[in-house]
Amino acid sequence: MSFAAGRAQWNLLLVIVLLVGGLFIIATRVQPETVAASALSRSPVADTPAPQENHPAPDFTLSDPGGATVQLSALRGQVVLVNVWATWCPPCRAEMPMIDAAYAQYRDQGFTVLAVNQREDGRSVAAYMAQTGLSFPALLDRDGAVSAAYRANVLPSSFFIDRAGVVRAVYRGPMSRGVIAGTVEQLLAEEP
Amino acid sequence: MYPLVRLGPFNLSSGGLLLILALILGSSLLERAARRRGGDRLAEQASSAFLPALVGAAVGGRLWYGLLNWDLYGPAPQLFLVLRIADLAWPGALLGGLLAGWLWCRWRRFDAATLADAAALGLLPPQALASVGLLLSGEAFGVPTTLPWAVPLFGTTRHPTQLYLALAALLSYAALRWLDRRTGPPGTVFVVYLITQGLTFLLLEPLRADSLLLPYGIRAAQLVGLSLVVVALLWLRGQKQLTTAPHG
Repeated sequence: MSFAAGRAQWNLLLVIVLLVGGLFIIATRVQPETVAASALSRSPVADTPAPQENHPAPDFTLSDPGGATVQLSALRGQVVLVNVWATWCPPCRAEMPMIDAAYAQYRDQGFTVLAVNQREDGRSVAAYMAQTGLSFPALLDRDGAVSAAYRANVLPSSFFIDRAGVVRAVYRGPMSRGVIAGTVEQLLAEEP
Repeated sequence: MYPLVRLGPFNLSSGGLLLILALILGSSLLERAARRRGGDRLAEQASSAFLPALVGAAVGGRLWYGLLNWDLYGPAPQLFLVLRIADLAWPGALLGGLLAGWLWCRWRRFDAATLADAAALGLLPPQALASVGLLLSGEAFGVPTTLPWAVPLFGTTRHPTQLYLALAALLSYAALRWLDRRTGPPGTVFVVYLITQGLTFLLLEPLRADSLLLPYGIRAAQLVGLSLVVVALLWLRGQKQLTTAPHG
């Protein structure tokens, strides 16, 4: 090997690496204002409702296991996450505590979650929600009509809807925690 | 982003699928590298240490992720056991795998340094493959950019950090293969692997938009990266064959 060098040279190299590396880490740290810098694009809104970015969100009315109904369009003015899920879907279950954390953090600022359960009976959904202690409302899509309208053939599917009722981000498959919080923060910060 | 692959009635996570392929590739590369460097005996030791190291990596990866997301994992400790590949962090997986592998070698009285050299050669191509899986599943995504090679993801165009990671792994692999053909004290290839990993953490982490953060916005992976480089340099400094001056 031709790495031969004196001990002093190795020490010098170590000091330089520590110094340069440390400064680089400090220089590239995440500054608070850059966290929200990854702005979602705001394109002209299309006319037809569709589960796609920059389309008005398809409206629906569903009831929760207790029988109370929720209409999506009645939530205009709030940032809404429509999360299509099922109790048998492991990535959905793994994702829900993160959604719940975001719900707890941002609900006072006008964020709400509609967890649309795909084709399961009310009793098992209610039991699941009670058992896991999730605080957001679960809605029953018994005939799968809403899942179909949102083309949610992948579970979980998530649709972030802005205060104006426009779909702004669509995620198919589980979201990471940063994605949920980042998207919600950006949409909450926008003017309606 | 193609997070799911439809296979008949099953939806398979594409990231998970590539991770499994990466593990198969890794175990075969590890055994080949071990056979080349130490014959049948080392190959047997390598395959015996593979599973414990893998378990260590899984535990380390999840612990790292959970501890840094403690506000989420603390109140819901069952999350530590959830089968969710996205909630693994590579720095923790690397440290956990190394620790488990080292303990296994000590317990079985294997030659840890020689085995580590073979492991380093077996790790990088699977890492490249798993990084492509990250792109498919939309994990480890980059900060927004308008560079011509940016990829559209999550409503904007972003650095394809996953491809950078794959490229870094392939370049590191080329460097290690070059070193593999030269003679050095046992452990040299592995230590150079640590340096390439450290530099990858240090240099690519700032382009990621999903870093695990410590107070003051410091990226945890960069600290691990710098520590790996320093530990590796300290080891190299201690090698008589690499140092001309006497110890003192």
